[in-house]
Amino acid sequence: MCNNVGVQKVLIIIAGLALFGCNGNEPTPNTVEVEINFDHLVDGEPVVYDQIIYQNALGQDFSIKTIKYFVTRLQFHEADGTSIIVSDEFYVDAREPERLVQSIGSKIPQGDYTGISLVHGLTVEDNQTGKYTQPPESLMEWPIPMGGGYHYMKLEGEYKIDETTSFFNFHSGMLEGFGYEIHIDLDKPFTINSNAVQLKLQMEIQNWFSNPNEWDFAFFGPGIMGNKDAQAIVQENGHNVYTFEVVNSTNE
Amino acid sequence: MSRLLSVSFLLILLIGCGNLEDPATTTPYTLELPAGFPEPVFPENNPLTVEGIALGRKLFYDPILHPEQRKACASCHIQNQSFTSDPEVLPVINLAWSHNFLWEGKVSGTLEDIMRFELTEFFQTDISRLQDDPEYPALFEVAFGNREISITHIEKALAQFLRTVNSGDSKFDRYMRGEVDFTNEELKGFDLFFTERGDCFHCHATVFFTDNLLHNNALDLNPDPGHYLVTSDSLDFGKFKSPTLRNIEYTAPYMHDGRFSTLEEVIDFYSEGLQPSTSVDPLMKQLHQGGVQLSAEEKANLIAFLKTLSDQEFIENPDFSNPQ
Repeated sequence: MCNNVGVQKVLIIIAGLALFGCNGNEPTPNTVEVEINFDHLVDGEPVVYDQIIYQNALGQDFSIKTIKYFVTRLQFHEADGTSIIVSDEFYVDAREPERLVQSIGSKIPQGDYTGISLVHGLTVEDNQTGKYTQPPESLMEWPIPMGGGYHYMKLEGEYKIDETTSFFNFHSGMLEGFGYEIHIDLDKPFTINSNAVQLKLQMEIQNWFSNPNEWDFAFFGPGIMGNKDAQAIVQENGHNVYTFEVVNSTNE
Repeated sequence: MSRLLSVSFLLILLIGCGNLEDPATTTPYTLELPAGFPEPVFPENNPLTVEGIALGRKLFYDPILHPEQRKACASCHIQNQSFTSDPEVLPVINLAWSHNFLWEGKVSGTLEDIMRFELTEFFQTDISRLQDDPEYPALFEVAFGNREISITHIEKALAQFLRTVNSGDSKFDRYMRGEVDFTNEELKGFDLFFTERGDCFHCHATVFFTDNLLHNNALDLNPDPGHYLVTSDSLDFGKFKSPTLRNIEYTAPYMHDGRFSTLEEVIDFYSEGLQPSTSVDPLMKQLHQGGVQLSAEEKANLIAFLKTLSDQEFIENPDFSNPQ
């Protein structure tokens, strides 16, 4: 017990130094590590892979086999109007557990926030062939004849219409220098007040196929990489696929 | 007392790994990369040296690694066939960037890992032959500072040599560097290859023309087990490593069982011969119609493009030939 009291005192002193040590009376907020958990849902439930058990808004049955994508330019928007810009780029493979939990390289200040924003995919500026030299990121390469850079996302599975099953490759990326990346603002106040924080970033797959545009598997067919209309629809629907939640650790 | 401690610490450092290596005796080797090739990631404990590469090259061509001394690595990995020969043998080119090895993906990791597999499980090398050889102990001493030959040093030497065996000066490379033009046929084949019309680029990806991953490419209704033999996961049934398409002109026959003798047969298969099975990769997205359905002209164009991946200088490069 005595030892615990001693440790508490030391922690209080360290905390005091951290708060007031740098610039006189101006308090410096504590910064904390943030871990992102990437979750993937269909109809609000965790994805069950490789089974044709889902139905889009048009009543077409489908399954999910692959979900690989980039999240970049993540920002935390503080209540005072400033933004914390995260320089890390996150490659997510929903079927690789080590890619479902990733840490942000820099620490984020404790405090009140109004929301987050992110880019699904890569901006034209960020999307240059040769940027990623090692797999798995390099394997997201988007061919130079189609515009170069990298796939924003590879979402793959099967769809079934009239008892005929076909694959779909819902692949998005840049076409002829035009970026179809998705700039997403998620306004939702939250507070970071612990020493370890989880950002739960959830992707609702069903929204890629229904919100606001209903996706017709039969019309778009198995591949859409060269199809500007399809890429534009993917971009519009992508504004509604993400939600998030911030969970402060209870282990203070 | 402190001097004694210092000397003891130094001795522990020197002998702690079980060998007395003196890296100062070796000559660092700088790998010249073909334009567009990314920097490879090498294990820190096996830097490229002139001596290590030379030793690896000698070992690669020497049947001494075989228990009955009947075969060398080079017996199956023949330079003028882009270091392949039989269908079960994948070409050993550009392996500095590979992390999955063998058709079934039996070994994952570094080149040292696959060399260890080849030495201990495939060849079952008898090290005493090398140790008793009049030349090798001295060569290992020069390369690794140790006359005591170990599997670790053999695998390191072979890995060093293979990290230099890189092919990146084909017509395709020269076209990408702006040095030559493609013919109309080659250009149309290039577009087919790198768009979803031909859709070759997803598996035969990047500058290496392989994603180094394993796929079921819809070869059979009842496919061979493939990667299932490694994982016992039914989703891996029929999965084999995507081979590089560099020098594909020199590496017939094709597929893991060598069933296709010509590139024409391969293209016919991807055009209209796909067969469904439960683990077919979704990238084979025209499976429902049997393939990508190319016209005769498109097939000819695609083959014309594939032949631009041939690197004649590579298969004749004296740096990779038998040093004897």
